[in-house]
Amino acid sequence: MSHRERAASAWFVVQAMLAVAFCFSDTDTGPSAGLSTQTNGDRFKIEGRAIVPGVKTQDWVWTARVLVEGEEYVGFLRTDGGFAVNDVPPGSYVVEIVTPAYKFEPVRVDITSKGKMRARLVNYIKTSEVIRQPYPLQVRSTGPHTYFMKRETWGWTDFLMNPMVMMMVLPLLIIVLLPKVVNTNDPEMRKEMEQSMNMLNPNPELPDVSEFMTKLFSGSKGSSKPGGSSKGTRPAVKRR
Amino acid sequence: MAKLISLCLKLVILCRIADAVFEDQVGKFDWRQQYVGKVRFAHYDMHAQSSKKVLLATEKNVFASLNTRTGELHWRHVDKTGPEGNIDALLLHGQDAVLIVGNGRLLRSWEIHVGGLNWEVVLDSGSFQSACFVGQQDSVRYVAVLKKAAISLHYLSNGHQKWLENLPESETVLYQAIYSGGDGEVYVLGIVPHSHLAIVAYSIEDGEITKQVSVEAPWLSNIQASCAVVGQGTLMCVDPATVSLYMLDLQAQAQMTQVPLQSLGLEVSPGFHPVLVSTQPNPARPPLSEFFLQVGPDHHLLLQLNNGQLVTLRDFQPALLVSFATTGEKTVTAVMTPRNKTACSLNLFSADSGRRLLDTTLIFTMDPNGGRPEKLYVQAFLKKDDSVGYRVIVQTEDHTLTFIQQPGRVMWTREEALSDVVTMEMVDLPLTGTQAELEGEFGKKTDGLLSMVLKRLSSQLILLQAWVAHLWKLFYDARKPHSQVKNEVSIENLSRDEFNLQKMMVMVTASGKLFGIDSKTGTILWRHYLDNVPSNAVFKLMVQRTTAHFPHPPQCTLLIKDKDTGLATLHVFNPIFGKKSHITPPALPQPILQSLMLPLNDQDYAKVLLLIDNQYKVSAFPSTKNVLQQLQEMASSIFFYLIDSSQGRLSGYRLRTDLSTELIWEVVVPTEVQRIVSVKGKRPNEHVHSQGRVMGDRSVLYKYLNPNLLAVVTESTDLHQERSFVGILLIDGVTGRIIHEAVQRKARGPVHLVHSENWVVYEYWSTKSRRNEFSVLELYEGMELYNSTVFSSLDRPHPPQVLQQSYIFPSSISTLEATLTEKGITSRHLLVGLPSGAILSLPKMFLDPRRPEIVSEQSREENLIPYAPEMPIRTEWFINYNQTVSRVQGIYTAPSGLESTCLVVAYGLDIYQTRVYPSKQFDVLKDDYDYMLISSVLFALFFATMISKRLAEVKLLNRAWR
Repeated sequence: MSHRERAASAWFVVQAMLAVAFCFSDTDTGPSAGLSTQTNGDRFKIEGRAIVPGVKTQDWVWTARVLVEGEEYVGFLRTDGGFAVNDVPPGSYVVEIVTPAYKFEPVRVDITSKGKMRARLVNYIKTSEVIRQPYPLQVRSTGPHTYFMKRETWGWTDFLMNPMVMMMVLPLLIIVLLPKVVNTNDPEMRKEMEQSMNMLNPNPELPDVSEFMTKLFSGSKGSSKPGGSSKGTRPAVKRR
Repeated sequence: MAKLISLCLKLVILCRIADAVFEDQVGKFDWRQQYVGKVRFAHYDMHAQSSKKVLLATEKNVFASLNTRTGELHWRHVDKTGPEGNIDALLLHGQDAVLIVGNGRLLRSWEIHVGGLNWEVVLDSGSFQSACFVGQQDSVRYVAVLKKAAISLHYLSNGHQKWLENLPESETVLYQAIYSGGDGEVYVLGIVPHSHLAIVAYSIEDGEITKQVSVEAPWLSNIQASCAVVGQGTLMCVDPATVSLYMLDLQAQAQMTQVPLQSLGLEVSPGFHPVLVSTQPNPARPPLSEFFLQVGPDHHLLLQLNNGQLVTLRDFQPALLVSFATTGEKTVTAVMTPRNKTACSLNLFSADSGRRLLDTTLIFTMDPNGGRPEKLYVQAFLKKDDSVGYRVIVQTEDHTLTFIQQPGRVMWTREEALSDVVTMEMVDLPLTGTQAELEGEFGKKTDGLLSMVLKRLSSQLILLQAWVAHLWKLFYDARKPHSQVKNEVSIENLSRDEFNLQKMMVMVTASGKLFGIDSKTGTILWRHYLDNVPSNAVFKLMVQRTTAHFPHPPQCTLLIKDKDTGLATLHVFNPIFGKKSHITPPALPQPILQSLMLPLNDQDYAKVLLLIDNQYKVSAFPSTKNVLQQLQEMASSIFFYLIDSSQGRLSGYRLRTDLSTELIWEVVVPTEVQRIVSVKGKRPNEHVHSQGRVMGDRSVLYKYLNPNLLAVVTESTDLHQERSFVGILLIDGVTGRIIHEAVQRKARGPVHLVHSENWVVYEYWSTKSRRNEFSVLELYEGMELYNSTVFSSLDRPHPPQVLQQSYIFPSSISTLEATLTEKGITSRHLLVGLPSGAILSLPKMFLDPRRPEIVSEQSREENLIPYAPEMPIRTEWFINYNQTVSRVQGIYTAPSGLESTCLVVAYGLDIYQTRVYPSKQFDVLKDDYDYMLISSVLFALFFATMISKRLAEVKLLNRAWR
C-alpha cells in the first residue's frame, strides 16, 4: 500500500518529466534527416542492428525476433544482423531482441509525433531517466543465457578442505604422530607430559562425556561415583 | 549499510529458493513439440535437386521451413497474430521466398537456407489483390504486386521499387489478377461486375501502359475464382450459368470465344461451381497449355489448348484432388482417387499427354478418426533413369500433414491442429492388474486376520512375479542391439507409474480434433476428429469420472457451444482410449448459459453435470432417478452464477427442488464506464494445507479461505491513458456480497489473473509509467478464526482483512498460472509465460503483500523478503530453458502423486511438458543422488571397522604378553 502512496506523490514529478521526455529537442540525433522518406502517415520505423560478438550471423539470426513492447510489433533480423520494425506509431517503446541462445539488453525508443527518434536505457523505476543509447540501435549481446545451475560435484579436495574435516584430522595427526616423535621412555619427558596433561585437564574429577551419556540413559540415580568411573575410562593415562 | 545488509539477505534468499534445471536434466522429464498451424501455402525448395526443404506459410501467420525427411523444423518465423501478420501470398524463386504480409502492407524476402531476412519494404496502403514474379529473357528479376488501385514492381534482389503506377478507373474497375508470361509486359485484369473485363498491359521497363482493352463479360464476377491463364497468354474462364468456357487471347483479341462444355461432351454437377487449375512452372515463361477443369466434387478433366482448340486429354472420375508438379522440363499431374472407405490411391500422369506413368501408384491410408484429404503438395523429382518419381504431402481437413513417399510409406505426420489447443485436462492412467490387486487389498476391511495375511502373501507373490518378469525383460533387451530396443508407448501397455507422474493429456483443439497424448513422451496415443464443430465454437472439457472407479471406464465430457447461437452439443468419450462413449448425451435444444460440475456422484460414480439454458431451466447429465433424488436433497445448497458481460450483469441463482432456479442476487457493473473482462473462481481440485501463517511473534494470521469467492476483472471503456483504469471485484458467489474492490488507476489491460488459496495475483499495463505491474491481494480472517470447522458463505459476519502490494515486472506477459500440488504443502510458484517464449517460475514469496520495507527482527523470522519495487527475472528460473514456447496461450498445471512435484503443460503454437518442484524434491531422492558415494563410504567404514577391530585384538594380545 505504501508503495502506491509513494508512487502517487511522485506522480507530478514523473508527469512533468514525461512531458519533457516527449518534446525533447536534440541537435545531435541523426536519423531525422532520413525520416521524411520513411513516414507512412503517422507511422515510423525503428531501425538497428544486433551483434553477437564472435558468432556468425547466419548461426543465430533465424532464431531471433525483435519484439517491440511485448508482441505488439514484431520485426525480423536480416542475414547481416540488421533489423527494422515498420509501422510503429509515435510513442515510447521497449525494444527487445529475443533469441533463446543469446542475451540482449532491452532499449527504450521514443518516437515523437514528428518522427524524431531517440534510444535510451530501460529503467522501469525511474521511467523518465534518460541515459542515451545510439540510434539507429546498436544492440550488442552480453553473452549466452545461463539457464542451468551447476551441479554440486563431489571431490576429494572438497572433502579434505572442509573446515570440520580439518579440525578432526589435525588433532588426529597430533595424537598419532606425537608419541612417535617424542621419546616416551625418557623419564624427564614423561614427567613433563604428565604435567601438561594435568594442565590440560585441571580437574580430573570432572565427569567426561561417556559418563555423562551413561548417566543420561541409565537415569540420574545410578551414578554417584564420578571419580571412580573416570579412573576406569582412562586406565592408560593412570598407568603411565 | 542497512540497505547493503538487506541486499545481502535478499541475495541469500534468492540463491536458496532458486530452483533451476540442471544441464544433465535436459530432455529427461520434459519435451517440446513445435507446430506451425494450418498450411495455407506450401512450396518445395527446387533450387537444388537434393534439397530437403519445404516452405510453409500458415494461417497462424507463421513462415517455416520443414525438413522433408523428418518433418522437423529447420527454422520458423512467427509474426504478429491478427490481420497485420497475415500472410497473403508466398512466392518462391531459387533461394528467395517472397512473402506479402498484412493485406499487402509489407513485402519481405527471406533467404531460405539461413532463414534470415533479405529485405523488407513497406508498400503503400491499399488492399492486396494479387502478386506474381515477373521475368524477362528466362530470368526472374522482379516481383509485381497488385493492389486495389495501384500496381508496383520491385527488384527481387533488394526490394527497391522499380515503378509504381496507379491503375486507370480504379473506382469502377475491380482489379483482381495479374499475369506475366515473360514477354516484357505485365497484364492486370479487372472487372466491372455485370459489365466487362478490363485488361491493362504495362511495360516492364518503365511502367507505361502499352495496351488497354475492355472486353464484354457481363457474366463474370470473380476472376480469381473462375479464370486462369493458359498457354501463350490465353485467358480461360468458366461460367457456371451457361455451362461454357470462354477464351480470350490477351495479346490479340478483344472478344471472348464461347465454348459450351456440352460440345466437349461434359456435364457439370448441379450446384457446383467449376474450377480451373493451370500451372506456370517458370514465371519467366508462359504457362503450360494443359490445365485442369473440375466439373464436380470428384470429377476432374485434363484439357489442352491446342491452336485455339480444346482437347480433352483425360477424364478423371472419381478423382478427389489433382495437382501439377514440375521437375526439370517435365510436368506431371498427381491425381488422388478414392479406393475404399479408408484408402486413396495416388497416380502420376504425364501432363502433356495424360498418359499414366508406370509404377507411380501410392496408397494413402485415411485415418478413420481424421478428416478427408483437402490438398496435395507434390514434389516431383527425376530418378537416375530419367523417370519421374514423387513424394507428396497430403493435407486433410483436420489440419494434418502426411508426407508419403513411394510406395506408400508414410515418412512423417504432423498434427497441425495441435498448434491451436483450446483447453486440456490431465487424466490419471488406469492401474495395471497387479496394482489393482494391491489396491483392492486395502479396500475391504471385513475379512478376518488369516485371510488378510493370505491375501497379502499372494499379492506379494504377484509382485515378485512381476519383478522377475521385469528383470528377465531387462536381461533380454540388454542382449539386443541398442537401436532395436524401443520402449514404444501404446495404449495397451499404458499404466500408472508408482508416483503417478505419467498421465494422459486430453487436448481439445480449435479445429475440433481431440488428442490423447502420453505426458511422459509426448506420443499421440489417440486422436478423434469431430467434423461437425462450428468454426466459432467454444469448448469446455470436464472429467466426469476418473480412472479410480474400476470397472467403470473413465469418462470425459466435452461441451461444444456455438458462440453466436449459444446452442451446444455434448461429446462423451473415454479419455484413455479416445473412444466415443456408448452413453447418449441429452439433446440440448436451448442455448446453454452455464455449466457446472457438482461434487455429487451417480450410482456409477460419474459426477453430475448441470446445464442451465437460457430459460433458466436446469438439466442434469447423467439424469438418472438416483441423481435427481440427490439433486432434490441437495438443491438448497446448490448455487450458481451467470455473467452477461454485454449488460455488465453478474447474477446469482439458487436451485429449487423442482430443478427450476431462483434469482437471489445481482450485481450490475455499468457498461458505460467499465466492462467485465473475466471472472475467475478457484480451482476445485486445489488443496490448502495450512489454515494460517505463523507470524514472527508466534501468533497465527488465519487465511480467509472462501471456496465461493469470485474475482471479477473490469476494464474501463474509456481508453484514454489518463482516465483508463482496471478494477478488481471480489464477490462471494453464493451471497453476492462484495468482499473487496480494488481499482488500479491509469492502467489498462490485458489483465492476467490467478486466483488461488487466499490470494489473487493480477497483472496489468500501467499507462502512467508505461510498464507492466503485478499486484497481489491477500485476504486474512485475522488472528482468530470465526468458525474453524466449516466455511459457510452465509455465516461469516466479519469482512476479511485485505492486504495489497504492487510490483514492477520488467516484461510483458502472455499468460499466468500457479503451480498445484497434491496436498498443498509445497510452496506455490507462479508460472509466467513471456512473449519471448520462456516460462518463468516465479516464487509466490516475491508476491507477498507482507514484504516489509524496513527489515525487522520479526519479518526476518518469517522469512519475508524485503520489499523491492522491481521483480527479478532470472534466466535460471526459466523452466523451459532454451525450449521456448511460441505464443503461449495457456499453462495447465496438475498435481502428481508426489507432493513436491507439479506437472506443467504450456501450450500455444508449441506444446511443452515438464515437471516443476517449487520446494525442491523433498519427498523423493533426487535424480542425481550419488548412490556410488554413499555405498562406497558405507563399505569403507565397514571394512575400516573390521580392520581396526582385528588390529585392536592384536594389540591387546601383545600387551597381555608384555
